[in-house]
Amino acid sequence: MSGKVSKADANRPVARDEMSKLAWTWKEMKRNKTAYFMLAPFLILFIIFTVLPVVLSMFLSLTDFNMLEMPGWQGIKNYTRLFLEDEIFMLACQNTLIFAAITGPVSYLLSLLVAWFVNELAPKVRAVVTLIFYAPSISGQVYLIWKTLFSSDSYGWANANLMKLGIITQPILWFEDANYVMGLCIVVALWTSLGTAFLSFIAGFQTVDRSMYEAAAVDGIKNRWQELWYITLPTMRPQMMFGAVLAITNSFGFGGVVTALCGFPSVGYAAHTIMHHLDDYGGQRYEIGYASAIAVVLFIIMYGANVIIKKALAKVGE
Amino acid sequence: MKTKVFQKAICLILSVTTLLGAFGITSFAAEAKVAPQTNAGSAATLEDMVALLGTSTYAEYAANHSDSKWQKELDEITIDVVEDLLKDSSDAYVTKDSKDCLDSAEANESAWEGFGDNWNNTVYLPTTNAEGTKAGSASWNFKLTDAQTGLYYLQIEYYNPQITESLYGKSSVSAIERKLKIDGKVPFDEASSLTFDKHWIYDNISEPVTSDVQPGDKYQDNGTYVDYEDGTKKNNKKDGYYKYVTVVKDGKKTVTTYKISQDIIGNSMTPDIKEESVWSTYICKDTTGYYDGYFTFLFDEDKEYTITLEAEREPMIVKSIKLVPATGSSAIIPTYEEYLKKHSDKPKASGNITFIQAEFPDSVSDSSVAPANNNSSAANYPISSSAQIFNVIGETGFSSVGQWAAYKFTVNESGMYNIAMRYKQETLQGMFACRSIKLAGGEYGIGETPTVPYVEAQKARFDYDKEWQSENIGYYTEDENGNAVKHDFSFYFEEGVEYTLYVECSLGDLKSYIERAETSLNNINECYLKILQRTGSDPDENTDYKFKETMPEVLVTLLNEAIELTAISDELEQLCGTTGSHLATLDTIARILDIMGSRNGYDIPANMANLKTYLGTLGTWINDSKKGVVMIDSIGIVPADTEEKLPRGKAGFFKSLWFEISSFIYSFFTKYDRMGLTVEPTADSETVSVWLASGRDQSNIWRSMVDAKGGFTDSYNTAVTLKLVTANTLLPSILSGKGPDVYMGLGAADVINYAIRSAVIGVSGNDSKVLTADQNVVFRSYVYENSAGEKVFVEKIDESNAIYRKPSGSGYVNMTQQEIDAFKANLASYKQVSLPYSAIKNSFAPAATNALQLLEVSYGIPMTMGFAMMFYRMDVLGQLGLEVPESWDELLAMLPALQTKNMSIGVSYISALDFMMYQMGGNMWKYTDSSIYDPLYAGSKIDLDSDIAIEAFEFICRLYTDYSFPVSFDAANRFRTGEMPIVIGDYASIYNTLVVYATEIDGLWEFCPLPGSDNEFEEDGFNYDSLATVSATVILNGCDDLLTAWQFAQWQTSASVQAEYGNRIVAVIGPAAKYEAANLDAINDMSWTAREKSAIKDQMANLDSIVNYPGSYIYSRYMKFAFLDAYNDGMDPYEAMMSYIPAINAEIARKREEFDLPIAETAEDALRKVKASQYD
Repeated sequence: MSGKVSKADANRPVARDEMSKLAWTWKEMKRNKTAYFMLAPFLILFIIFTVLPVVLSMFLSLTDFNMLEMPGWQGIKNYTRLFLEDEIFMLACQNTLIFAAITGPVSYLLSLLVAWFVNELAPKVRAVVTLIFYAPSISGQVYLIWKTLFSSDSYGWANANLMKLGIITQPILWFEDANYVMGLCIVVALWTSLGTAFLSFIAGFQTVDRSMYEAAAVDGIKNRWQELWYITLPTMRPQMMFGAVLAITNSFGFGGVVTALCGFPSVGYAAHTIMHHLDDYGGQRYEIGYASAIAVVLFIIMYGANVIIKKALAKVGE
Repeated sequence: MKTKVFQKAICLILSVTTLLGAFGITSFAAEAKVAPQTNAGSAATLEDMVALLGTSTYAEYAANHSDSKWQKELDEITIDVVEDLLKDSSDAYVTKDSKDCLDSAEANESAWEGFGDNWNNTVYLPTTNAEGTKAGSASWNFKLTDAQTGLYYLQIEYYNPQITESLYGKSSVSAIERKLKIDGKVPFDEASSLTFDKHWIYDNISEPVTSDVQPGDKYQDNGTYVDYEDGTKKNNKKDGYYKYVTVVKDGKKTVTTYKISQDIIGNSMTPDIKEESVWSTYICKDTTGYYDGYFTFLFDEDKEYTITLEAEREPMIVKSIKLVPATGSSAIIPTYEEYLKKHSDKPKASGNITFIQAEFPDSVSDSSVAPANNNSSAANYPISSSAQIFNVIGETGFSSVGQWAAYKFTVNESGMYNIAMRYKQETLQGMFACRSIKLAGGEYGIGETPTVPYVEAQKARFDYDKEWQSENIGYYTEDENGNAVKHDFSFYFEEGVEYTLYVECSLGDLKSYIERAETSLNNINECYLKILQRTGSDPDENTDYKFKETMPEVLVTLLNEAIELTAISDELEQLCGTTGSHLATLDTIARILDIMGSRNGYDIPANMANLKTYLGTLGTWINDSKKGVVMIDSIGIVPADTEEKLPRGKAGFFKSLWFEISSFIYSFFTKYDRMGLTVEPTADSETVSVWLASGRDQSNIWRSMVDAKGGFTDSYNTAVTLKLVTANTLLPSILSGKGPDVYMGLGAADVINYAIRSAVIGVSGNDSKVLTADQNVVFRSYVYENSAGEKVFVEKIDESNAIYRKPSGSGYVNMTQQEIDAFKANLASYKQVSLPYSAIKNSFAPAATNALQLLEVSYGIPMTMGFAMMFYRMDVLGQLGLEVPESWDELLAMLPALQTKNMSIGVSYISALDFMMYQMGGNMWKYTDSSIYDPLYAGSKIDLDSDIAIEAFEFICRLYTDYSFPVSFDAANRFRTGEMPIVIGDYASIYNTLVVYATEIDGLWEFCPLPGSDNEFEEDGFNYDSLATVSATVILNGCDDLLTAWQFAQWQTSASVQAEYGNRIVAVIGPAAKYEAANLDAINDMSWTAREKSAIKDQMANLDSIVNYPGSYIYSRYMKFAFLDAYNDGMDPYEAMMSYIPAINAEIARKREEFDLPIAETAEDALRKVKASQYD
């Protein structure tokens, strides 16, 4: 391929600044057409199934589409309503941020720390321990075990024990009581959070070149913390980025588990996140236009969080 | 001394006054309690419930029969069913004259087909009395002399009529059930439900064709020959799977063809089944299968006895009732030894085995005993790797005691035969299932009714194996070392005689074990309740409850039952030679019982929760053991001296391998969307496309009902494409314009949601003033008729979209433009005869039709309708001496009695919040009364802030806070253990759960309408309303042939079709698949008992529903929030509710603006004007 390229260059020597940016891009694309051809299958699918829906939902967010009838143009009415009139949305934003602010970093750090510890174990033990930590997140709906533990029935595990200890006399409706809902959901979220990111961290730890530790030791690394900060983490920055992106999407998009545990909507909207709000309008009220507006806002928040994380990760090891 | 007398006197006076006072109070209370008993008919009385506690079992009843003085020779006594009938006290009709019977019984004449010359001297017993208010009963008198006293069997000759039109209960799919009373009393438990079999035959047997035997024919010799031909190959034009029975006799041959037809991709389709009315003979026996042989009744006095048959289910006709002596009569079943002795001179037959493919039964006991497909072995016959062909019987629905399948056969040589089966029993691990072999024909049976040839034939044993087995069937005994020895059954069959072999589900050798386990379960349950009453549901592990001192008997029982369960498990293991997970269950339970019973009950508190779970497990164990499934591929009539080998049980390795590989490959090419279709679907608009979201069984039933003779396609000459879809496909399909014409079973809330967005077509409507042109597509359909009787059908959306049709032959044709113009010009001479929907609207409860209405237009026809009813444990209430509560006040009054026993009442707060408001006379919405308000304003504001609504809300909150009703509970489990003797919930779903899940409390529970509330609006004081949950059949926008779609929707929701569907689904899935038809008339023909029917009808007369309006999704969540605020945080219910009212109203207003409907503020303005104009 490089041979071809050089031939093309030889035939038509044109300088970059002699043409417009567009023309230059087009020329480059033609020059690398094999690469584009090879990219095409993914690109086409990606555009159809990811880019297009995102663009479409941005468009729909400016209409009053209701799933069944022709959409009518609304301008930015949906957005003004969202920010100025919709109190529940503000509550949902607040819940989502609290949720994300706790589960995101904590699950991220937890993954990292556990991965670090697990990495220190002997390979065979490591495999077993990894499985134990990873199991909750691959076992599908296993979080429903919490529903049994914290069942509202007086025979539920938590209620029965608390009643036995004499702390309560009447069963607590754990997942139907605004005082407990959020806390419990955060705990469940953390429990299931040691997922893909955790695995990628373990993989990351193992890719670190051993000789770098030796070199660092010669250069005067004093303890394991320094080793972690200056050698290990900077080396595995790609995995950390990957883990971070997952943590953000997970913590912002954590809706299904809450619905399964607390019902929909959760009592007093106590664990109502932006995802739920989106479901509420898209699924129950058939207001796809408005739901799209919510989705766009969520998209922007996630993107923003991503940018911040990227910047923060760049500081690792400095 | 004096003081003592004085003290005594004072004491006496005091106690008398106290007593009197108590009387005074109680009598006062009794006076205060007088209330109109409107639902008295459907709830059991306290006497009924107490009576339930006192009855004995047959074992207790028969205990004194062994007295030697009853071992005497007796003559048969015949009760004259006509002469001895107590006419005054019986609901029965003598068929002395056919006309007489038809008039009095109002039965359809066709029901008496096959009744033949039997008109004289039989008695017709309907299901209910003449008023239809209670179960029908008939009594007979007979007198015994001293010489005639003794032990008798009770033999009844009966006929199962098919009553299609009657006021006293029509026929349905259920078996006939009667309660037997002697001198007005049920002699023992088991006699309270005697089951008389009905005969069902598959509608796949052709009329026999007789012709001369030609020289080239396959069979020349006299005899009976059976051939099978399978249509597994798709392209050779075979349209099904056939059985041919050829009888050759004296140069003539008669061929009978059995056929299982198939769909276009080769899958077998269940043949239609129909009831066959026949005369049968029944000897009173145990329906549950615990007692072998027949019940013996002791008539020990020389007096006049009265025998009463009280209807539980189904009408019947009785020809004779006989008392057959239980000693020395022919009805006594011989032992195998006696049987062999009788036939010791008979030779062993030789020749070839006669194979009967089990999927072709000649008749069955139940419509659920159906042929099925099983591809688990390549050796099953027939088999196809590309399609599912019926090749076995007994996959499902053929496992309850008493169910049978019958096969006719003849043999070509007289002699002794064995019977072999190729079968698979994989449900009872480590155990066996039993079947009883009965025969009719030749020397066997009483008339056409089969009997067991010998006692041992009742316990043919089918051992567990995960592979198919093929062997002679037989029974087992133990040799002196305790090892099981198998004895093959042998039977004597005579050449040329037609025999019928009945394979009937029985308990056989399992019987005693299951019975012991059941006794254990009851004992443990009693212990559990006793402990529970002392400790509550959450015993403290650290408290010493002093079980040894207070309830030593409980500890003893626990330990005894532990020993008993271990013994059962060990004995079964010995009997079967293996163990398995099914048996291990018993050991696990025994271990827990042992732990709880030892150490003076110290470990009881810690294990209470476990015990409760295991009680359920034990119940399930018993249930499962009773219902061992035996799949049968083929039955062989094996000559005792044959050379021929039995077929292989397990398929050969290479055969299996090839089968698996080809199945895998075919799975890529099977067109699953063609499943169940009999014709290739076309794009023709003359077909109606119908979608439904349910199971495959349901869809198959609809398919066959549409295709059946007299079904939709037949009567309307229109093809139907029926598609089974998942529930969430409807919305996207409408969006993409690929939706169906008709959708079955759309929930009421969705109907309104879709309607308001113009996705479904209104099925009724006048030129309503409230509708703008583009707001709703309203399907208006009219029928006009002129004086000459010419009819014109008009369906119109508006003037430019109207279809005009006129009848032509059996169908309709579109009118030409000229005809339309002529019709319009002469409109005045036509009379509008009916609006189609209003014609059928009355077959539904107003609650159901209201729920599908928006702005006075109906958008669907109700299909299913569920509602809450009250289930109660008769034994528990009877024990506590409590009546079934009629009102909420009574319910609350009995609460202390329940709560001191740690019992509670189960009702979900969400449903209670709703129905209580309606019971108190409230409504969810404001401005709904169309006589006062413009319907445009209906539902523009929530009415939860009204006085009634708040009162209802406060009452419900109090139930959970002050009266500690549990908010969250497992209703089925607690109802089963008895700690929740009253449960309120959806009638069909609770019924269905209890029927399969809690069989050990069968007959101990009933259900009745909800308790009522005092309601000032109600004339007779109480309101028993329950709220209906409705799903509907809708016609979707985009449907191009409205009339046909309408016809389908109307056909599908009609009473007869709904009832047939309800019966068929029960037939296929079993008694736990009761269907909640919305059509009020359908319930008459469905398989509920008379009592259940009257309870359901009572509740149906007391229904309401919450109508859906734009934004109606919002109230339920805020009601829930308000309740939880009150419950969790102890907020004042009023405050809690009021705090959400503005939010609800705001959302409703917002939603109404979206649809250009006037909002509440304008409504109130308008109201003021209305009122003002009234004062003018």
